[in-house]
Amino acid sequence: MSQQLTITIDGKQCTCEKGEYLLDVAKRNGIFIPTLCHHEGLGGIGSCRVCICEVVARGRSQVVTSCIYPVEGEIEVFTKNERIKEQRAIILALLHHLAPASETISQMAAFMGADLPRLADKEGGEKCILCGRCTTACEQIGTGAIAKCGRGVTKEIATPYHQPTAECIGCAACANVCPTGEITCEQTDESVTIWGKTFEYLRCSCCGEPFATREQYEFAASKRHLPADPDTAAATGQDPEPLCEACEKRATAQRLAKNSIQFVVEP
Amino acid sequence: METTVASPPAPAADSINDSLSPNDLAGLTAILAKYPAEKRFSLAILQDLQRQFNYIPEGAMQLVKEHVGTTVGQLYALATFYKALSLAPKGQHIIKLCDGTACHMRGANNLVGEVGRILNIAPGERTEDGLFSLELVNCVGSCALAPVLIIDETYYGKVTMEQLPSIINEYRQPTGGETDE
Amino acid sequence: MSKANASQSAPARQLLICCGTGCLANKAAAVAEALEAAIQAAGANAVVQPDALQLKRTGCNGFCENGPIVKIHPDDVSYYKVKPEHAEAIIASIGGEPYQALLYRGDDKQPVTRQQDNPFYAPQHKVALRNIGQIDPLAIEDYLTSGGYQALRKALAMPPARIIEEVIASGLRGRGGAGFPTGIKWQTCAGYQPTPKYVVCNGDEGDPGAFMDRSILEGDPHSVVEGLTIAALAIGAERGFFYIRDEYGLALHNVQAAIQAATAAGYLGDDILGSGRKLHLEIVRGGGAFVCGESTALMASIEGKVGEPRAKYVRSAERGLWDMPTVLNNVETLANIPYIIANGGAAYAKLGTEGSKGTKVFSLVGKVNRTGLVEVEMGATLRHLIYDIGGGIKRNRPFKAVQTGGPSGGCIPAEMLDLAVDFDSLTAKGAMMGSGGMIVMDDHDCMVEVARYYVNFLSEESCGKCTPCREGLRQMLRILTDITEGRGQQGDIELLERLANTIKDASLCALGKSAPNPVLSTIKHFRAEYEAHINEHSCPAGVCSALCVYTIAAESCTSCSACKRACPLGIISGEKGVPYSIDSERCIACGSCRDACRFDAVRPIKKERQVVAS
Repeated sequence: MSQQLTITIDGKQCTCEKGEYLLDVAKRNGIFIPTLCHHEGLGGIGSCRVCICEVVARGRSQVVTSCIYPVEGEIEVFTKNERIKEQRAIILALLHHLAPASETISQMAAFMGADLPRLADKEGGEKCILCGRCTTACEQIGTGAIAKCGRGVTKEIATPYHQPTAECIGCAACANVCPTGEITCEQTDESVTIWGKTFEYLRCSCCGEPFATREQYEFAASKRHLPADPDTAAATGQDPEPLCEACEKRATAQRLAKNSIQFVVEP
Repeated sequence: METTVASPPAPAADSINDSLSPNDLAGLTAILAKYPAEKRFSLAILQDLQRQFNYIPEGAMQLVKEHVGTTVGQLYALATFYKALSLAPKGQHIIKLCDGTACHMRGANNLVGEVGRILNIAPGERTEDGLFSLELVNCVGSCALAPVLIIDETYYGKVTMEQLPSIINEYRQPTGGETDE
Repeated sequence: MSKANASQSAPARQLLICCGTGCLANKAAAVAEALEAAIQAAGANAVVQPDALQLKRTGCNGFCENGPIVKIHPDDVSYYKVKPEHAEAIIASIGGEPYQALLYRGDDKQPVTRQQDNPFYAPQHKVALRNIGQIDPLAIEDYLTSGGYQALRKALAMPPARIIEEVIASGLRGRGGAGFPTGIKWQTCAGYQPTPKYVVCNGDEGDPGAFMDRSILEGDPHSVVEGLTIAALAIGAERGFFYIRDEYGLALHNVQAAIQAATAAGYLGDDILGSGRKLHLEIVRGGGAFVCGESTALMASIEGKVGEPRAKYVRSAERGLWDMPTVLNNVETLANIPYIIANGGAAYAKLGTEGSKGTKVFSLVGKVNRTGLVEVEMGATLRHLIYDIGGGIKRNRPFKAVQTGGPSGGCIPAEMLDLAVDFDSLTAKGAMMGSGGMIVMDDHDCMVEVARYYVNFLSEESCGKCTPCREGLRQMLRILTDITEGRGQQGDIELLERLANTIKDASLCALGKSAPNPVLSTIKHFRAEYEAHINEHSCPAGVCSALCVYTIAAESCTSCSACKRACPLGIISGEKGVPYSIDSERCIACGSCRDACRFDAVRPIKKERQVVAS
């Protein structure tokens, strides 16, 4: 059983469990902290630094990123005092000049009063803010096909050799989580093109809807230790045939029912 | 804790090793044999490849990735992050100019310019004939002898611009060849 | 220190030749060979018979600019700048009159023979460097003879908590720069239950201008092996790593040899000296990344990943390498451990100051007369280091600043020369001792260029993960480059300060948090220099080549032609009896002529600039 703590955020008393992330505690108590690299499904990364707060504990103060800061004691937190507002504004100004083409960032920057015309736009900078959400998604739920390459001011998100890569399965998780729309994918009913490669969609053998690329399907199947190739499966009469998520659920439910698993239904 | 990555589908066999000769392949295999099949040896393997081939051949990536259980994406990230690794072949003789603080203050920049005039290359580049490549490196810890120049494994201390042509000439004979004077 | 029983009697005399990287660069290997040949050739006529004279290749003596260095033991005669052709004369001098030409001459120009009479060595107090220069780092017998591995024997018989008590009592603080109390770190890690635990030696010394760790790893690797082993006993680790910079070839070789020799002798392995305790050490080679000197980035690198640090909200002592409890210590920190365990923590605590116990190795380089590695008690003043040990500024030029702590540190001006060098005194004044690098600058160094140099370095070495460090450095570099090239604008200094304050607070790791220090400290102490660059497009130090060219002041010129010979472009002309002159149109302000001139006749002047239409 975890230890309960009481902390103060912007003067408001909040309870939490020891080890909870500060961002989550704030959110639960209706205190808004802006974020960029944090994603509900992937957690915090700590790279954008937009979610910074000042934390005072045992007489010492430090600036921390609330998305990955675990609350360990009875701390006092300031999410928007002068120090934090100034630093957040500088960070947004820096991001704006890194990604001048991003509407999202320029709006955020304007909202936070970040205006430093003496700063220079990054050459060739478009919308990427190097938050790392895409590579985190690719590593955690995809294949690890894209990565953060280079170092320091030359850091960039890329496929190996900036060429289409055999490791990309066209799942588009990266595009889905990109906060600024830098990663684009062109989707039709038949195909999706992303990172320079075009993938054909498989159609659900039940409802006929396009639902995943062949490569994505095979990857998911390999994770579940099932035969991957739907064509072979069909030819040999083996399960499974490619099914979209909805049809897969229905098929599973039917299989469970058929196999005489009794469900006791309360009268 | 390490988590295993389910391998994505393997590409067609032809693309794996087509830039490696049988000799190169033997060299690569020998290197891989020295290391357990664990992701943590990725960097060490790449460094051995760098020493063997003078760069990381693209054709080697697939075999390395399969041996350690990682992705080409991750290996490429390593190769571009660590300056000891390069994706393009370096020169037969690598000229490293130290740009540590002491060397910088004692004119490392001027030496860069002078090497540039003699060999027509900038830091990060290789001469047309593949004999020399030039790098600016971080402090090599010989600060009392600034400015320091290293060619292959040999250190030169207190280098002046006048000395550069004769130092470079020591290496002009392509290795392995006899020249008559 | 106990002497081991040698199976044969040691030679009456030893010829110790420094073969650290610095001296090797000065052809020490050839000197060693020449000496070996001369010893053999001396034959029956020699005062000392060849088999009573042993040549020993040692590690770095620290006085690198004066190498190669040869010392006769036990006569305590040291020779400097030795060349192969001196070999016979040196051998002939043994037992008789020292060979005068190779003796060091101090500030009073008098030759000295003994190290304790050499002003560079006399004030030093060696603990971490105690063996270097005396022993052959590749011979474990030498290490044993000077008391090596006695501390390990003692530690094996102590409960881990006792070991930790001694280290806490010593007051030892991390020598890598952060200064965290070593004993507390060990105690914290020992308190965590999960296993396996790890110990790691941080040999990724990357501060430009610092080479303390290199010389310890090269010259006395067993001291670090022993220290790391004691750490492992204290926290309960059975595996350890040496992470060593890829560029340190000799250090890698010597540590590898030391691990092999220690394992063969039973100090490492599955059953240390029959105690049942285990430790296996592995070497991991760095990949060429300064950021991997940061402890969490280093651990990521050992795990086979890119060297990206992580936030230290959870300490590595709790979750470090592969999320297990880990103790990571700097090379110099570990080199002190055998001394502390052998002599007791209280003995170590007698040295140094209240908050900074013990000694510290500094690398004193730049515009001083005597450059090299220096170990003194904590609390020595900057003045003592630079003037007494360093012999003052080269060519008697005025002292301008000393840069301490590498790219994480700051520039300290003349007014602060009497500050004690320790962890806290410098920090209180906005500077930082750091890992011990000390770069002395004179009036020919431009502080704005120094700031730009460090920001440029960090902008490439930053891992690039977080916004304030990566983008903040990108923008600061652009502004500083503008300033050094005559494009500085009103408000630039204030903007640099604003960016610096955010980078300091909001960056993820210590690299970012300390990156603004060179900028902030040079603005604080040398603001006028920034203003000259911005407002007047002038570089008072005569360094920024976009802003100045050189000219020769006729009244001071003696027509010695030193400048003409030094000029790489051949644009200086003149003849005897007539003041020399520089073709300013073609001058690139490289500074060679100014460095060569002994009469202060070469002066920088503002470069004529073309007015660019706005």
